[in-house]
Amino acid sequence: MTPPPNDLMTATQATIEPDKTGNQQLDDGGAVLSVRGLHKHFVLHNVDGRRVEGLNGIDLDVRAGEHIALAGSSGAGKSTLLKCIYRTYLPSAGTVTLRSPDGPVELTGLADAKLAAIRGREFGYVSQFLRAEPRRGALDIVARAGIARGMDRDTATEAAAISLRRLHLDESLWDVFASVLSGGEKQRVNLAAGTISPPQLLLLDEPVSALDPANREAALALIADLTATGVAVLAVFHDLDAMDRLASRVVVMRSGRIIESGPPDQVLHHLEGVAR
Amino acid sequence: MTSHTIGKSAVTDHAVPASLDALGQGQTVLRVDRLGKIFGDQNPSAVAHTGPDVGTEKSPDGNSVVAAWDVSFDVAAGEAFGVIGESGSGKSTVMRAIAGDHSSTAGSVWMQRRDGSTVDLLTMTASERRALRVDELSVVYQDAAEGLDLGVTAGGNVADRLTAAGWRNFGQIRERAAELLGRTEVPLERMDDLVQTFSGGMRQRVQLARALANRPPIVLLDEPTTGLDASVAAGVLDLIRSLLEELGIAAVVVSHDFAVIEMLTTRCMVMQHGRVVEQGLTDQLFEDPQAPYTQRLVAAARA
Repeated sequence: MTPPPNDLMTATQATIEPDKTGNQQLDDGGAVLSVRGLHKHFVLHNVDGRRVEGLNGIDLDVRAGEHIALAGSSGAGKSTLLKCIYRTYLPSAGTVTLRSPDGPVELTGLADAKLAAIRGREFGYVSQFLRAEPRRGALDIVARAGIARGMDRDTATEAAAISLRRLHLDESLWDVFASVLSGGEKQRVNLAAGTISPPQLLLLDEPVSALDPANREAALALIADLTATGVAVLAVFHDLDAMDRLASRVVVMRSGRIIESGPPDQVLHHLEGVAR
Repeated sequence: MTSHTIGKSAVTDHAVPASLDALGQGQTVLRVDRLGKIFGDQNPSAVAHTGPDVGTEKSPDGNSVVAAWDVSFDVAAGEAFGVIGESGSGKSTVMRAIAGDHSSTAGSVWMQRRDGSTVDLLTMTASERRALRVDELSVVYQDAAEGLDLGVTAGGNVADRLTAAGWRNFGQIRERAAELLGRTEVPLERMDDLVQTFSGGMRQRVQLARALANRPPIVLLDEPTTGLDASVAAGVLDLIRSLLEELGIAAVVVSHDFAVIEMLTTRCMVMQHGRVVEQGLTDQLFEDPQAPYTQRLVAAARA
């Protein structure tokens, strides 16, 4: 295991002026999320103990109102990074620090019960797929997500309706069990639930992959609004157009490392054909 | 060694606070601490010769079975904690130890009572336990015959819990029983039918109504959907999840079925040959299992 580079660890203490070129900025001061020296390897005990590298030392900050898009080909480690931050994967080394009302919280070493208690409320994860109880309606699912983040029932139901309407989910489907909805409909329910009364940090893992152009448009507008209201977003999209429109910064990954970082117009034009 | 006097029993084994530590956002309501159960000869040397490393829970001389050893976990108010494992892993032994269905060899099971006091369930007398089971700790068994009187009506089974808790007015008892059965989706017209005429899924719904009758802060669920048809199991599971969430009840869910643990719990542990091999957040345990045994289990369940 490579130890996290020391110069970056010390940089966590310092405030670095935002870099106008948008290149790698490490600044703990204003960051909602600070990732330092993050490593992940998987040991497959039942495949001769084979070791698979996932992340090889990631340093990354995400600030309030910043949308960072992770780019890179499949297997580069984009989803692994999101899952290590949410701790669906257990990081092997390094730190993930989340700003919170009670001061910074280091997530990789946090007790399971404490992590479970702040998940969803202080940082959220929106996957491609809806994982909901089979016998619950769309409006109910989204409203419950709002209630779980502290909204009262009426406010949550109202906000859920606004969000579903905005995502063009036909009102006749709102009380139908979500398990019978189509892939695209489920994905919109999932996005609405993940973004209602949004926490300060959202991790988005291909949240619009199953949507047709018109619905995708509405979903991207909703995600853009998150950033505008100060939510920090770290996202994986499979298309460059979404990154171009939403990202304040694109971070390119390869083999579990960050190889490039900058504003979309500087990074994306030479990514065509490389990143995907 | 410190001594605490808790309720009627003096505990000199090890120190435990008068009230359990705050955990996460919620208060710890149940703490299982180094729980152990040996069946047969109570031979302590059997412990060293059993477990996952040896590949068995049975001692070499064949006279002892170390069904569970060194099992520890906390459950916070309103939280559902899962225990997963194959047959013989010790998961049901843990459940039965907490429920008080059998005595234990070692450890403690601390529970926060409604009045704020803390008791070790393992040192309680049988009558103290019965009182506790009325309205503070309920159990839903895989086999409805264990949790219900099959020769009594659905309404009668629920009413029995209410009278145990001091309800005396017949009309009110009947009204409340009907409400509870309605909540667990038992058709009202079947309220006065004997439970033995009920299907498996319907029996589990009656068990749930009975278990939740007095709104206990903790419920133990032992394979609550095992043996039911898949579609029926999905309905019962969904009902359990809604009830736990709406009533804010803490639960220990014991199952061999990953889907059950995944749907109901936020944290869980994996047992094998009487020991805990891994404990973690449920999604992490299923997506990034660490122990070789858990990796095998997950691979088999996903195949």
